[in-house]
Amino acid sequence: MKRFTIKKFVDRFSGFSLKNKIFFSTLGVILIISAIIALLARWILVSSLTKELELRGVAIAYSIAERGAGYILDRDYPQLLSLTFEEAKLRERQHLITYIYVLDKENQVLCHTFTRPFPGDLDKANPIPEGSDKSVRLINLGKTSAYDIAVPIKEGLYRIGTVHVGLNKIHIDQLVSTLRFTFLGFISFVVVIIFVISHRLAEYITKPVSKLTRLSDELSRGNFNFSIDVLSSGSEWNASSCPAYYNTDFPCWHFDLSSNNTDNEVGGRESLQQCQDCHFYSKRQGDEVVQLADSFRNMVWSIKLYRRRLRESEEKYKSLFDSGPDPILVVSCADFKIIDANPRVTELYGYSLKELIGEKFIKLGPESNKECIKAFEEYGGPSGCIYYPKILHYKKSGKPVYVNMHACPITYRSEPSIIVAVNDITEIIEKDAQLVQAAKMKSLGEMSAGVAHEVNQPLNAIKMGSEYLALMAEQNRDLPAAQLEKVAREVSNQVDRAAEIISALRAFGRKSGFKTEKVDINAPVRSVLTLVTRQFELQNVNFELDLTENMSRIIAQDNRLQQVFFNLVNNARDAIAEKRENTGIDSEDFIKITTYQRADNVYIRVSDTGAGITDEVRDKIFEPFFSTKEVGYGMGLGLAITYGIVRDCKGSIEIDSQQGVGTSFTLVFPAAKEES
Amino acid sequence: MSKILVIDDERATLNMFEMLLTAYGHEVLTAENGEIGIEIFDARKPDLVMTDIKMPGMDGLEVLSRIKAISPDSEVIVITGHGDMDLAIKALNLDATDFLNKPVKREDLEKALRLSDDRRLFARKKQDDVRLIFEDKLAVIEVAGNLTSKSEGLLIDIFDEAMDTSKMNILIIFQEKASINGAAIDTLYNVIEKAKAKGCNIIITGLSGNFRCVLDSMGISKMASIYDNEESARKKLC
Repeated sequence: MKRFTIKKFVDRFSGFSLKNKIFFSTLGVILIISAIIALLARWILVSSLTKELELRGVAIAYSIAERGAGYILDRDYPQLLSLTFEEAKLRERQHLITYIYVLDKENQVLCHTFTRPFPGDLDKANPIPEGSDKSVRLINLGKTSAYDIAVPIKEGLYRIGTVHVGLNKIHIDQLVSTLRFTFLGFISFVVVIIFVISHRLAEYITKPVSKLTRLSDELSRGNFNFSIDVLSSGSEWNASSCPAYYNTDFPCWHFDLSSNNTDNEVGGRESLQQCQDCHFYSKRQGDEVVQLADSFRNMVWSIKLYRRRLRESEEKYKSLFDSGPDPILVVSCADFKIIDANPRVTELYGYSLKELIGEKFIKLGPESNKECIKAFEEYGGPSGCIYYPKILHYKKSGKPVYVNMHACPITYRSEPSIIVAVNDITEIIEKDAQLVQAAKMKSLGEMSAGVAHEVNQPLNAIKMGSEYLALMAEQNRDLPAAQLEKVAREVSNQVDRAAEIISALRAFGRKSGFKTEKVDINAPVRSVLTLVTRQFELQNVNFELDLTENMSRIIAQDNRLQQVFFNLVNNARDAIAEKRENTGIDSEDFIKITTYQRADNVYIRVSDTGAGITDEVRDKIFEPFFSTKEVGYGMGLGLAITYGIVRDCKGSIEIDSQQGVGTSFTLVFPAAKEES
Repeated sequence: MSKILVIDDERATLNMFEMLLTAYGHEVLTAENGEIGIEIFDARKPDLVMTDIKMPGMDGLEVLSRIKAISPDSEVIVITGHGDMDLAIKALNLDATDFLNKPVKREDLEKALRLSDDRRLFARKKQDDVRLIFEDKLAVIEVAGNLTSKSEGLLIDIFDEAMDTSKMNILIIFQEKASINGAAIDTLYNVIEKAKAKGCNIIITGLSGNFRCVLDSMGISKMASIYDNEESARKKLC
């Protein structure tokens, strides 16, 4: 219970303001000390004063007993009476002594100084005990009270009487109270002085502190608009004279990492500013409170500069965000909704900013954004930016738009988010498609002679068949049924053959869309071979095929793959032609096409027994407009386009070549997942 | 009725040739490639060989030169894809009798067969290949047989003679059975160029369609006017 109250008291005390704490504790200590001094003083002074007065009373009594002994023996009582009066009324003693009376050995009153009849019983009020030489006792006299001091009067060994001296208690009390009043007055005066001093002291300490507190509050509310001079009053330091006041890039004041790497250099020249020596950091002479104020001022100044720098930086990035040429979105990682977007986004997608914010990110690209969201959904997200090339997004109108997309993790308004930078490449893709188409048309042109020859073959057979029939008809000759059937069948076969060539040609020449599909890699190989086999064979270049059936399909465009294989076999043929030209021997050469699957990859290898590629050529082989062929014979785009198409299918190309022996191009494609 | 060897890598074409030529009453041998063709040629000695030019392995030109090596007087007609004029000229240079464009037309085939018949007949008769006849204001050169590289000297002599006589008009008449090979065409080109330089007016007539194409592609038709028949050419001169 007692403990609780102390705790409560301490709690209440600690709730006081610093000013009150200082004030009350100083006051409390002073009061306690004063009380102790007062008590001590009272005890010492009052008791010694009383004793002294008693001693005086005793001395007076002894003096009467000494001088009065003779008068008692002579029974000269008038002399004794005058003696007692003399003693009692001498000077200031009259205030102190209330009465004196003398008793004989039978305790009969011999004389007394009362101006009224001797109070009864007084003579028996203070008897001297046997063997003692005095007795002091407080006696009530009715209206007043007195200290009665009794001393025996002795003649030799015999006691012949007793002297009683009555000391006035009121007088003694008056003296004591005068003393107490004086002392207490002094103590009160001291307390008042201490009160004032402690009050002033507390105020001196707490006033700057509360000012700092008020400023801190202002700062934390974001109000930095007060003058820094509020804090530095009294010092000659002027904030606006600091060079950093106008140029926050000035390296002087910030020693953070952002400027450390510039090695304190501004615009290439070393800064001569030494901040340690800066007047800014010098502190005024003064006590801790002054130094605290200066430190605080420095801190506020630094914060102000940092704030300004932060604002400048924020403005810079804000303007980059708003004025950058590429659409940028901010997507929350919590629900994958768009939380911010720059004006380019609204231009690209056709949504207004209001429609975009709060919209699901996946709406922009229902298929392509899934992968991105998945990557960020995983715990912690990716450590860096992820790049999604050539993905499909949709405008508000539903029109598709091809984009390259960068997604980077950031913290936006203290939430994990994604910065999505998008780059519209629809036009590039269209140009790309046009280029592929142009290259394809060129390939078609190259093929045309061979194809014409190829189509001519069935036409020839048909023509001859029909000429035969016409001949028989003109000459009215009998046509055996077997012959007729043979001709008819042959004509039909040849028409099919011509139609097949034409459809392969059409498929090759068709402008491919952007849509990918699942392709069995053997299909485009066969399509290309339909067109070129005969033509190549006529040049004594034969094909060896080793196609694996029932492989996983790949995500690609049949039409574009045809272009790839056409380029590869065409190059292989040219390599063989080159070798023949170099060696002058009509060697037995062939192009081998192998397809196979290993785990999740589908491979196709096109090998030739041609001239091979030198290492330096191999480094440049995929560069656009690089060609080893004579001017006018190759655009140098074939392999560049091949590479582009393969890369678009997420595939890769490996080249293995040995000069004079041959070259193998191995294309690796990831197998499509079969579930859908 | 003659024995004809057809070489073509196309089975269908071979079949058709077989039927058609059999219908014309010839005996037909077929070969699917050059090597077999030469073997058969060696073994059966056909009167006429018809070979495709574009074939895998041994091509038509090689077959032609091999056959000419075995028997220089043999008649070989090459079959070319439509418009393969370079190959046609190459073949003519190798002394091919004629060439047939694919798809093969019946009249072309008939003409080629007739030409080859005529040549065989002509070869037996051993007539003069080229004759020079002087007419009023006109030198007429009649070509009846085979113009080959061997005819080079003859052609030059005849042209020199024609020009020496200060006849400014030269009429060249190709008889129906006449044939001309690449080397002869070269010579012809040279002499015509020379005559043209001297201010001669050259008229050519009696050319078959194929040869007309060849002369066109050689650029001869630019230096000479070509007429379908002799009558219209003479009319023009008057």
